[in-house]
Amino acid sequence: MKAPAVAVVVAALVLVPGALACTPRASQAALESRLVCIECHTTLDESDSPFANELKAEVARRIALCQTEKQILDAMVAEFGKEVLSTPQTHGFDLIAWVLPIGGILVGAVALAFGARHWSRVRGARVDSTQASGLTPEDELRLDEELARFDG
Amino acid sequence: MRALRAAAVASVLALLGLLVWDLVHQNGPGVAAKVDKGKAVPAPELVLPRLSGEGNLSLASLRGKVVVVNFWQSSCYPCKLEARDVAAAARAWEGKEVVFLGVDAQDLKSSARAYMKKYNITYPNVRDALGKTWPKWGVTGVPETFFIDRRGRVVPPHITGQASREKIDAGIRRALQS
Repeated sequence: MKAPAVAVVVAALVLVPGALACTPRASQAALESRLVCIECHTTLDESDSPFANELKAEVARRIALCQTEKQILDAMVAEFGKEVLSTPQTHGFDLIAWVLPIGGILVGAVALAFGARHWSRVRGARVDSTQASGLTPEDELRLDEELARFDG
Repeated sequence: MRALRAAAVASVLALLGLLVWDLVHQNGPGVAAKVDKGKAVPAPELVLPRLSGEGNLSLASLRGKVVVVNFWQSSCYPCKLEARDVAAAARAWEGKEVVFLGVDAQDLKSSARAYMKKYNITYPNVRDALGKTWPKWGVTGVPETFFIDRRGRVVPPHITGQASREKIDAGIRRALQS
């Protein structure tokens, strides 16, 4: 009777962890690109330092615990602060990091448009005045007088 | 157009201001370089959360005693090599006006605590999650060990790399005499 009992225990030990295991809810590769190795200032997927490897192992351990990407990122931020994230967050104060460059580009584009409009107007006005006569009223009067004298 | 020109000039001036501010606020080589030249320099402020237990620990609160400040990281190999010697020295000098302070940097809390347990480290340790204290002290890697005299000055020697029991004892004796 002892042999079947041992077999059951062995089967339970083998099968139960498998049954308890869950479908991963986060991707190791995605998380490694979103987290920074603080020591080497690169993303985890670009680093092979002991510290980066330790963080990778921690991420793998948390994925095995069925944690979501957000839960893992939150845990890392709780441990190291926002500096551990490779991209700034899209809410709160970090939003400035996204808004400022886009705002800068927009302001630059508007300034460029105004400038281009202004310059084209000035140039147009100069062309118009040149095409109209190209001479000041005094010069025109003088030219008329000269021509009249020449004809006369 | 005048407004546009003024805005451009203001932007350039603001960027120049940022550059000057950055240059002024750079830490330089830190105390390590001066100590290595044989100078005694005031210890930089160090207030960090305790690795075990609650609250912060301030280096200033240890004034009046010789303090051995050891910077380490659990994934660093030379740190593991020196850990038993540092822990043994801390026990040997306990109650003799000498205290040890470990500064764990750029480390997972769980790994750091496991390291402390493994090497039987019982002296106070603080956690510098991002290694922000390093520039002030001039730490360029771990492990590094500094000695602070009773007056709160960092005094030579400054040990870079694995610290032996002999080096630690010699550093403490020198700090006690300064």
